[in-house]
Amino acid sequence: MKKIVTYFKDIIVGLVNLILGMSVTIKYFFKKTNTQQYPEEKLPLPDRSRSLIKLIYDQEKEEFNCVACMMCQKACPNNCIKLEGARMPDGKRKMINFKLDFSTCIFCGYCVEACGFDALTFIPEDYENSVYQRGSLLHDEHALKWVRPTVASNPPRELNQSTQVI
Amino acid sequence: MSGSLKLLKLINVILEHVYKFLGLTNPIPEVINAFITAAISFAVISVFVMFLVWMERKVSAHMQSRIGPNRVGPFGLLQTLADAIKLTTKENMEPQKRDKIPYFIAPIIAFVATFMGVVVIPLDKGVTIQNLNIGVLYIIAITSFTVIGILTAGWSSNNKFSLIGGFRSAAQIISYEIPLVLSLVPVIMITGTLDLQKIVEYQAHAGYWFVGPQIIGFLVFLTASTAESNRAPFDIPEAESELTGGFHTEYSGIKFAMFFLGEYISIIIGSSVAVSVFLGGWIAPAFMNFLPVPGFFWFVIKVLLVIYLIMAFRWTFPRLRVDQLMDFGWKILIPIAILNIFLTGLWILWFSKGV
Repeated sequence: MKKIVTYFKDIIVGLVNLILGMSVTIKYFFKKTNTQQYPEEKLPLPDRSRSLIKLIYDQEKEEFNCVACMMCQKACPNNCIKLEGARMPDGKRKMINFKLDFSTCIFCGYCVEACGFDALTFIPEDYENSVYQRGSLLHDEHALKWVRPTVASNPPRELNQSTQVI
Repeated sequence: MSGSLKLLKLINVILEHVYKFLGLTNPIPEVINAFITAAISFAVISVFVMFLVWMERKVSAHMQSRIGPNRVGPFGLLQTLADAIKLTTKENMEPQKRDKIPYFIAPIIAFVATFMGVVVIPLDKGVTIQNLNIGVLYIIAITSFTVIGILTAGWSSNNKFSLIGGFRSAAQIISYEIPLVLSLVPVIMITGTLDLQKIVEYQAHAGYWFVGPQIIGFLVFLTASTAESNRAPFDIPEAESELTGGFHTEYSGIKFAMFFLGEYISIIIGSSVAVSVFLGGWIAPAFMNFLPVPGFFWFVIKVLLVIYLIMAFRWTFPRLRVDQLMDFGWKILIPIAILNIFLTGLWILWFSKGV
């Protein structure tokens, strides 16, 4: 008798559990999807995410912040950074040639850490770096030039529509 | 006479004109008529299967918070068409040491056996392709031929995975055939007929659907028909993680497509029988009786709902182990179905005494 009772009890408990499982999936069926349709929608990356390094260009002084102290070249574990500096007539050191072999970069970020002159940075927007030829991964200072956006030069878009700011 | 039947008559009239134009004898031979009906039903079923594959992918996607196919055509509706074209134009790879004739026949048996069940499905009041007075028996008999196709496929592929898959499928389909039949018996006892059309009419006259008094039978039938069509959670014959593909491991291209089509048609057949026997077939729900839509519409809606339920089973429940599967079939479904028959018998006795 006890066996018969447990037999039916098991069936009913099993049925209830199955219905509970179904209710979860059917609830999720009507929920919103989480998919991000990548090429059309892009998620903003975190501020400190790593990508192609950029050389910061000072627009007021019209020169790079880099003074060719060679710290980034020494810090790089794969020797992907090669740079040349020269002393200018006014006595200041200045970077004249910056070569980045991006194909061997491992995004360790040591170069950015080592930089003491606020000359190198990662920017989170620029993460689509794939190319069709290996040679395209060799960058120089013109390709890596990046101007830090300021509030004055990059006003919010609502204001931008009437007054054209270049 | 309702709409769908008129359509068949219209086709007949057009055919007669074609015959006169060709200068042939006027009455259309029965054979030609049958061929044309078969062609039409094949086309309709194929399109419906395509829709079901799309629906399956959408349902599974939304249950996992994904979007699913949405690139080809509106809402990705043409995705299955693209896949079908890809599948049919694919190279047909065959293992060298296969058993040639059974290897060729197996997908045909598996497909035709399920497809023949479409014949007796009551689509609307008085509309079936060919109404038989033993409809239920016919469907059960003809769809169980699938197992021969699957077993032949497993045997002739000359592959251990295929063979294990085929054997598992044979064990599964044969043992789940029993609760499937037993769950239909109470309804046959009440209505006193095997004719699907008359079963639906009985429900229309009685004013209730058999899903109410026969809820146990409905659940048993739904489970057993899911197992019959080799779908998860009863998909051990083609368990990907154990058998790579089961009985259709060595099949590719159009032959694989035939197995695939057969599986989906068996879902359609299973849910159509469930709808006809337990959910009132083409009868409109009582509160929507006033709507001027044909019964065919309600039939399709109900079939789609049942298919949605079966799809939800697939994406909710984990796969059963072989011994669990057998236990579930023999120790739970069959006793429950027999108990249901017994209770229904008592019920009939009680009511006949009252009368």
